Amino acid sequence: MAVVTRPLRRPWVSGDVLVSTVTVLVILMAWTVATTVFRVSPFVLPSPRAMGDEMTVLLEAGYAGKPLYVHVAASLFRSLTGLVAGIALAVPVGLAMGYNRTVSAALVPIFGFFRPIPPIAFIPLMILWFGIGELSKILLIFAASFNYTVLNSAAGMRAVPEQLIRKGRNLGLTRWQLFTSVMLPAAMPHVFTGIKTSTAVSWAIVVAAELIAAQEGLGFIIQDAGTFFRITDVFFGIIIIGLIGVSLELAISFIERRTLHWQGK
Amino acid sequence: MAKIVVRDVCKRFAAGSRHGTEIEALDHVSLEIADQEIVCLVGPSGCGKSTLLNMLAGFDAPTHGEVRVGDVEVRGAGPDRIVVFQTPALFPWMTVRDNIAFGPRKRGVAVRQCLDDAARYMLAMGLDGFAGHYPYQLSGGMRQRVQIASALVNRPEVLLMDEPFVALDFQTRLAMQELLLQIWDEFHPTIFFITHDVEEAVFLADRLYVMTRRPGRIRDEIAVHFPKPRTFGIVTTPTFVAIKERVLYLIREELTASQTRGSIPERSRS
Repeated sequence: MAVVTRPLRRPWVSGDVLVSTVTVLVILMAWTVATTVFRVSPFVLPSPRAMGDEMTVLLEAGYAGKPLYVHVAASLFRSLTGLVAGIALAVPVGLAMGYNRTVSAALVPIFGFFRPIPPIAFIPLMILWFGIGELSKILLIFAASFNYTVLNSAAGMRAVPEQLIRKGRNLGLTRWQLFTSVMLPAAMPHVFTGIKTSTAVSWAIVVAAELIAAQEGLGFIIQDAGTFFRITDVFFGIIIIGLIGVSLELAISFIERRTLHWQGK
Repeated sequence: MAKIVVRDVCKRFAAGSRHGTEIEALDHVSLEIADQEIVCLVGPSGCGKSTLLNMLAGFDAPTHGEVRVGDVEVRGAGPDRIVVFQTPALFPWMTVRDNIAFGPRKRGVAVRQCLDDAARYMLAMGLDGFAGHYPYQLSGGMRQRVQIASALVNRPEVLLMDEPFVALDFQTRLAMQELLLQIWDEFHPTIFFITHDVEEAVFLADRLYVMTRRPGRIRDEIAVHFPKPRTFGIVTTPTFVAIKERVLYLIREELTASQTRGSIPERSRS
């Protein structure tokens, strides 16, 4: 009699989630205590109550004459456009580099040189070359997200186990079949690591890019509010950026767990 | 006519970082395997058994000499010579069923046929009920059985098996040995089987070769005349024991020779 087993499903709320929730609650409590009991200046740290009041204002009136969602959408649009374009180019280029040593040797000096340079260092050049419009911001994000995914895609291709390639050849696969049915899926875990890093980086860069020259966006809110000592709005900008960043990461991790479940992690 | 011909094959590998240093893995090896014959190769570990199998599979080319399968010189891997690797070579992103059906499917065999064949070999390997499982959900022994099924389902003319049962528990190994002979009876593949388990070699082989320590040479060739199908009853017969003793003696001589390096080999008790 064969025993049919089923993979265990993780419970919805695990102990880890509970502990993390407690951490968040403790921070909120410490914040409240700091502003009410110790009366920290609202110019240093606004109270949660002041934040709540400001949230109503922001949601109703928006910021700088534009509704809040316009700012969020502007930042998301720049970030995701640059990210998607970066990944779309980086995956094939990276895979080609991992597959072919000559391609790799030809491109390594370019990417190797630019990788350690913080993308923000290029902001003045981007503005000089492409103006202060959308293009310069998106190109900056594109370049940054390209860099990380290309590196990981190439590494993924090189890390395909030799035994699986031999098995594929042994079964009589054509070169194309070997690439699409064996090497590509085997490289996917690395590719995904690159995509995750690129996503985080693209979101971080968009905010930095908007600090310089923008009329809307979450980076603009922080910069503008800081200039006019609207500390509550500065904090709001930071919190929204953080929450969206976490959501993006959770979304990517969710897709990863769904598609790469076979890793058995 | 011989199905597999290995003629005067030498293989040297570059060794270490120092330029020009080489390891001699095989030293003028010649052997022949007839069509539908089961030939086992035994020898001390590291003697170049796997190197020889890799050249038959077309993963590697000889430094000197010639390897022919079906009267054609081997120039690359192909599904006419299916390999069973020592460790389970499975695609981790595919279910057990898809892993087994993969080879035929990619060569354009109809889906229906592929799935039927996969089901048949799953049953034979005791894998029924695990069709939808992924490799990470299986034990090591089960993964190896999936790999064996994924090889047999191709019904190759030549099976190249590199210590395929070494990771299995004792009972499963015995069952697999008998099963291999049953499957041989079904479509009569030519089998080249590497092992260091002498009893396994004598039980399976029509003929077996004993190799020397590295650099590997053919030490001796022994015919095993038990009719097929064989069952485990034969392992206690005097003939079986005598052949086993002879092979053990040869291997022991090789081992002691490699330990004492050039001094007079110690006499075996047998």
